[in-house]
Amino acid sequence: MENSLMLGGLMYPEDDNLSRYTDEEDQRRYVWSLEGGEWVPTLVILRLNRAALCVQWSAKENKFAVGSGAKTVCICYYEQENNWWVSKLIRKRHESSVTNVAWHPNNILLATTSTDGKCRVFSTFIKGVDTKDSKAGSPAESKFGEQILQLDLSYSWAFGVKWSPSGNTLSFIGHSSMIYFVDDVGPSPLAQSVAFRDLPLRDVLFISEKMVIGAGYDSNPMVFAADDTGIWSFIRYIGEKKAESSSASSYSSQFSEAFYGQSKATTANEASESSKSRGGVHDNCIHSIVSLSKAGSPKVMRFSTSGLDGKIAIWELENMQEELGHQF
Amino acid sequence: MAGAGGFVEADNAEAIIARIETKSSKIESLLKQYKPVEALKTALEGSPPKTLDERCKSANWIVVHRALMAIKDIEGMLNALDVEYYDILMKYLYRGLSTGDRPTCDQCLKIHEKLTDRAGLGCILRCLTDTINTV
Repeated sequence: MENSLMLGGLMYPEDDNLSRYTDEEDQRRYVWSLEGGEWVPTLVILRLNRAALCVQWSAKENKFAVGSGAKTVCICYYEQENNWWVSKLIRKRHESSVTNVAWHPNNILLATTSTDGKCRVFSTFIKGVDTKDSKAGSPAESKFGEQILQLDLSYSWAFGVKWSPSGNTLSFIGHSSMIYFVDDVGPSPLAQSVAFRDLPLRDVLFISEKMVIGAGYDSNPMVFAADDTGIWSFIRYIGEKKAESSSASSYSSQFSEAFYGQSKATTANEASESSKSRGGVHDNCIHSIVSLSKAGSPKVMRFSTSGLDGKIAIWELENMQEELGHQF
Repeated sequence: MAGAGGFVEADNAEAIIARIETKSSKIESLLKQYKPVEALKTALEGSPPKTLDERCKSANWIVVHRALMAIKDIEGMLNALDVEYYDILMKYLYRGLSTGDRPTCDQCLKIHEKLTDRAGLGCILRCLTDTINTV
């Protein structure tokens, strides 16, 4: 393996055979492709002078975005002639580190969140990589780096951000135990701020058009949903049973967990013992939540969470459809 | 950040202080009628968070403090208070705790315990992280 220094970020695209993106402390970045059974690195010219904080492949996986501590976002695309990935930077607008990025299904719009508390949507249209849509007023009309929208909803740092499966709704997290939902992202968006009881969230995932899972400092994923009038609210913690069901065995059949990987910090035995005693899967803050379903599908049936406790857990929603209700 | 459009300028501060004075007399009369919960609600309503002017904040604090100290039945007060006032009340509780004055801190701690039970840690988080709307 060539990467001998600490990896800062790792992102797997949907199509597993294509490539992986890795970030290193010495600022060498690679896209890894599986060629003939071997992983081969291709250099990425990233042009960052500060830490890369987050990375995401776009919907079509021909671009990826890197948010950085340099208050910039790099959009990288492949240049055939030199067999490397080059970047275009979104330099303006962000007043502080970019903590998360999320691609709209149309492969052009990118939402970013930052420690300046704002969520912004930019166009990342790149000539030669993206094709112009013939419809007037479509996002392809905007220039690269143009800010489409800025959401000043949070009074403190903003973290996880995601688009709904159709791209109509955006959700992001504020560090003041708030989660924000914006419907009809565009010239006249409808924003809602939802305050909740417990510790702040770090990351968010849409499991359907009207249902969102948030995970964070409470170490237990929370479910939020929009009712029929479109008002979003907190529903329950994911592991909670309704008052009617009683047996302990049904608790374990509702979601299955698999301990996928361990960091050096905890051994498998320690981890499973301590989670039994606390009654939850994670012992510490859940840092990110990732969908394991096919990208672009309207519902997410499996997702994984990873936390500062060194654990990765996989959650199955197959058996929870009834529990979660009609919004799922 | 500071100085942006959301903040009230110095001359408007006079108007705010005048409003607070009217509030204050209303609260005094409510307290005389033994309606401390109503008094607190009036004090919390129209709190001027989006102003940099320390005098406005202090003036409103004095009014809120008066109402807070008159509360004897904390559970009852919290029952009657709307959920949207929890965050503002928590901010004033922290201001009370920062005064260091014994009776104020006693009262604030008592209310804090019960409010946290109801509103959760999220409420405290919102007070700590919100550096823009301060009291």
